[in-house]
Amino acid sequence: MARNRFTLLAAVLGVVGFVIWAHLASGFPVFHSHVAAEPGWEQFRLAYSVRDFGDDGHFVRAAQNGYNVFYFTYRYAWRFTRKTALDAKNACASCHRAEDLAYAFVNSDRYDARAGKRLSFEDQVMRCFAEHMDGFVPTLYDPTVRDLRILARAVAHHLQLGEGALNAAAQ
Amino acid sequence: MRRPLLILSKSAAIVLAAGAVYLLAEREHAERERLRAAPVELTPACKAKLEGYALAPGERYRSPYALKTLGTPVDARGYSEADVRAIQRGCNLIDDLQGQLASRGAAERWNATRFVRGSRTSCDHCHQGVGDKQDAEGHRQVGSLGLGASWAMADMYDRFTGLLLSYEMRQMQCFINSSNGFKPNAADDVLRDVTAYSRFLSAALDLRIGNRYPEQGIDEIPASATLRRGDDYVRGAHLYRTQCSACHGPQGHGTVVEGKFAYPALAGPQSFSSDSRMNFAAVNSVMPGFICRNMPPGREGSLSNQDCRDIGYYLSTLPRPAGDKQGPLAAAWQQFMMTVLPPLAAYADGLRNRHPPIENGDAAD
Repeated sequence: MARNRFTLLAAVLGVVGFVIWAHLASGFPVFHSHVAAEPGWEQFRLAYSVRDFGDDGHFVRAAQNGYNVFYFTYRYAWRFTRKTALDAKNACASCHRAEDLAYAFVNSDRYDARAGKRLSFEDQVMRCFAEHMDGFVPTLYDPTVRDLRILARAVAHHLQLGEGALNAAAQ
Repeated sequence: MRRPLLILSKSAAIVLAAGAVYLLAEREHAERERLRAAPVELTPACKAKLEGYALAPGERYRSPYALKTLGTPVDARGYSEADVRAIQRGCNLIDDLQGQLASRGAAERWNATRFVRGSRTSCDHCHQGVGDKQDAEGHRQVGSLGLGASWAMADMYDRFTGLLLSYEMRQMQCFINSSNGFKPNAADDVLRDVTAYSRFLSAALDLRIGNRYPEQGIDEIPASATLRRGDDYVRGAHLYRTQCSACHGPQGHGTVVEGKFAYPALAGPQSFSSDSRMNFAAVNSVMPGFICRNMPPGREGSLSNQDCRDIGYYLSTLPRPAGDKQGPLAAAWQQFMMTVLPPLAAYADGLRNRHPPIENGDAAD
């Protein structure tokens, strides 16, 4: 009887200990509701008018995570970027600017002659990971893909882009 | 000797079965490719809508609506022929989800009815004006669930699901709750084409990403927007009979005009589920907002806030399919009520017709 009680107590303490460790000491982003502020986020936030929490704090946190994925891809989406530990560290920002992402977003869902089909923004992100990053394809529902899309939305909103907006600078 | 033969034959059967499935999938895939490349036969409403917005393949797209409202042309990236076909198919889906106007059968609508339980639901029952409701002067109707504006504001936090809802996930919600059905895959042609059409509307109306427009969503009416701050079932039932039942039927089961389900069911097995945001019992400010801004057709805005809330309250008491969140007991109860109530209500209506109510007390004088 006493042994059963001890086992139960140990199990409860184990669960409580794990929760406290996960939230306070583990450092794993998956256990946090907030997003780590990486270098440059404050400047980015001010440059693209992303308010601290905005009207929709969930959206802003997703945009911030999108920022982390975009500029620090090798840290926040490492599992999609490299096949081996010896491969070079890449980030989306190595090739793209945030504005490019926004214009790609408002010009997505169009027919792509190379692929021979209509490509969504998410399809393009997946292709980037598979080809340019020489990595693996995230699923359509992965927060990495979602947050990159939301980052693109936030920038597109700042630039006040509409559907099919033409990037004058790129032409 | 017999054992290896048995293993070999079992392996061969598995390979053959897998091969058959593969060939079947290949055939379906090829059929979908053929449908994507086929010319689209537009419904009359879509023909008018897309011609009005000058949709055509080309390098650049210039919206006539933007030119008219802004006075200056707005150039955007044009559409390829494949894009135009996707937009046309999306419009057809919104206007005629059940495929009643499709001359080549359900495949023309990607067999979208497999995601819908009833046979009386179409997207344009809620998203009126083929997802872009305007008055005679071309002003966009406030709170009319405009699809273009909805695309512009997608990816925001949704208080009902607790998720950042992408546009595709929002459509899934529509299929699950408003159509009481099943969710399509995010990459399904149904969702892709509706997204293409919504994005085109957004371009045609010159909407900007992340801006809130009055036609987006529903102009909700909470209790605090009325003077009495209470909802009246009896008054709601009376208003329903006088204002709504001519189209939606005396028991809210919808009506059929020229073989097409013109007016949707508000109760009964063909109706939206109890999990739907339209269900007053689930969210009591959405249905009144929809009624006040969009009903009755042609006389929008003629009902007061209190009228709309009372009608919504009355409708919430009618039996409808249980939602996924409610479990089997609630589903069984709703099913029982949907079976038992209609004949009882019809009998009660018959009694009322046999003994008409005394008007204004004249008969007592």
